[in-house]
Amino acid sequence: MFSDLGPIRDPVTLFVDGQAMSASAGDSVAVCLLRAGMSYNRLTPVSGAPRLPYCMIGHCFECLVEIDGIGNRQACLTVVREGMRVRRQAGAPPALEGSVP
Amino acid sequence: MTLNAPLPDADVVIVGCGPSGMMAAVTLAEAGRSVIVLDMQPCPGGQIFRNLEANLCDASPAGQSLLAALGPAYRAGADLIRRFRAFSGACSGIDYRPQTTVWEVRPDGTVGWLQGMNAGYVRGRQVLLAHGAMERPLPFPGWTLPGVMTAGAVQTLLKAGRLKPSGRVVLAGTGPLLLLLANQLHQLGVKPALMGRTDRFSDAVRAARHLRLGGVLPLVKGLGWLGRLKLAGVETVTGLETLAAHGKDGVESVSFTVGGKRRTLPCDLLIVHDGIVPAIDIPNAAGLRLQWDGPNASWRPQTTVDGLGSSSLPPELYAGPCVLRVTGDARKIGGAEAAMAHGVVAAQAILAALDHGMGPSRAALRAVGKALSVRPFLDAAFPPGLARALPGDETIVCRCEELTAGDLRAKIRSGFRNMDALRGETRCGMGPCQGRSCMVTAARLLEDETSAAGCPPTCRGRPPIRPIPLGAVARLSGLDPRATIRLTLEDKPENAPESGPESGPEHGAEDMVDAPAH
Repeated sequence: MFSDLGPIRDPVTLFVDGQAMSASAGDSVAVCLLRAGMSYNRLTPVSGAPRLPYCMIGHCFECLVEIDGIGNRQACLTVVREGMRVRRQAGAPPALEGSVP
Repeated sequence: MTLNAPLPDADVVIVGCGPSGMMAAVTLAEAGRSVIVLDMQPCPGGQIFRNLEANLCDASPAGQSLLAALGPAYRAGADLIRRFRAFSGACSGIDYRPQTTVWEVRPDGTVGWLQGMNAGYVRGRQVLLAHGAMERPLPFPGWTLPGVMTAGAVQTLLKAGRLKPSGRVVLAGTGPLLLLLANQLHQLGVKPALMGRTDRFSDAVRAARHLRLGGVLPLVKGLGWLGRLKLAGVETVTGLETLAAHGKDGVESVSFTVGGKRRTLPCDLLIVHDGIVPAIDIPNAAGLRLQWDGPNASWRPQTTVDGLGSSSLPPELYAGPCVLRVTGDARKIGGAEAAMAHGVVAAQAILAALDHGMGPSRAALRAVGKALSVRPFLDAAFPPGLARALPGDETIVCRCEELTAGDLRAKIRSGFRNMDALRGETRCGMGPCQGRSCMVTAARLLEDETSAAGCPPTCRGRPPIRPIPLGAVARLSGLDPRATIRLTLEDKPENAPESGPESGPEHGAEDMVDAPAH
């Protein structure tokens, strides 16, 4: 769906669902997910439908992911950081699961 | 123990660091006023000048071709950003707080903010809302599928992600931004499979009578874009209707009607756009009075010419004076030039309210009028298209809660005949986006079903209008001691310790009042 305009600069390594990924310093997490060609960043809590970023400016909340253990963070507003741990969200989380990673 | 009102943290708090917010901040700082600027993005510029500083510094071939494609209107923000930066160093007037979201604004000048895991309140003697616009919500079948994105989103990916669309790209909708993006993509070597415009030749004819001198340059620019697309061999259709995206786990094809004929095209990325509208999330939650802008089918805050809003809250909720002003595209869609011009007007009005100066100058007001003079032409040439007709029963309206127009119509018919009742019953507008994507459509459905007219009602906005982690709420700073009572588990009788230095009759009520945090 997207391709790079140029090489990655000042690379930062983050982990998406445990898998190491490179991003340019200053990129948002949403950019990183789209560059990697991910088919979704979350499955909705209501029907489990897949979603990807839609507006990229913080309005639509479609790009929600879990970042460093905290769920429902806006990937389009969060800048990548070395060692960041991102998890895609699979529907509604179980209420009683120990959520601390 | 007497509790005083907290002191203001700055003369002015500005929400948003785009053209209008930066211009107002610089104007206020030049006059010696202290300013706090809160902005969601990591660097100044707003959406129009997004990531401009970094892109200007990039001497690589990829960086240079990106700058060339984004054009002079993008680079035009460099000077303002430099001036803003000059004032936002240590002790230089502007306290610039990037990556900060605002989740509450009150008419008295209190602003709730969140940065990472820290949250709190700041107070300005005056507050300027310069939070900008959003793309018009445009529900159509399949608009929630991965692979459907807005034109603004794709432009953001170019500016701040250095990603360009690939595969079979279809653009659909209307408005200057869609045409501009198509040209930028073409310059970067992306050839869209189709440019599907909802506007028609008849719209352009109708628009012609609104053409003023100030509109000639944008018109020439727009015709240039259309000409280049034609030369590049991009198929363009006008009068596109009833768009739909199809696919299982993402877009595989799009279908639409043009001239009475239904067409289907294979598609990997569908880019949609139906013009931009003021973002009313903050004004609505702040209790500012809104008005309905008929030709633009959107709400906008009701303000004076210098941006002063008025509170619609009942006196038992808020009786004091309203110190909130709205500027830029958040007040009235006009683009970067009009936003910068109005930023000056708003700043001059704020200076007058702070007993400094005479208010907006005639030159500043004239500049706003000049920059806005092209809008009637653009509004007529690019009327709402994808969102013009109300969605069919099967179409999702509320993306967060996955409610269709049919769900909402059924509830309205069964008696939920105001926005808050409809929200309470269906959860439409209760998801993470808090109604940003669905409220306008729900309000229009309600109006349609109840044959009401006038300004469609909004849901009552309540803080927090953006999610805050509980841990950040627990450590809120800047609380108003007059409005704060801290109760701890120890205050509950069954948990009170038997004895100890902290218990006993000397444990007075005032100890339970939280001190103002710093």
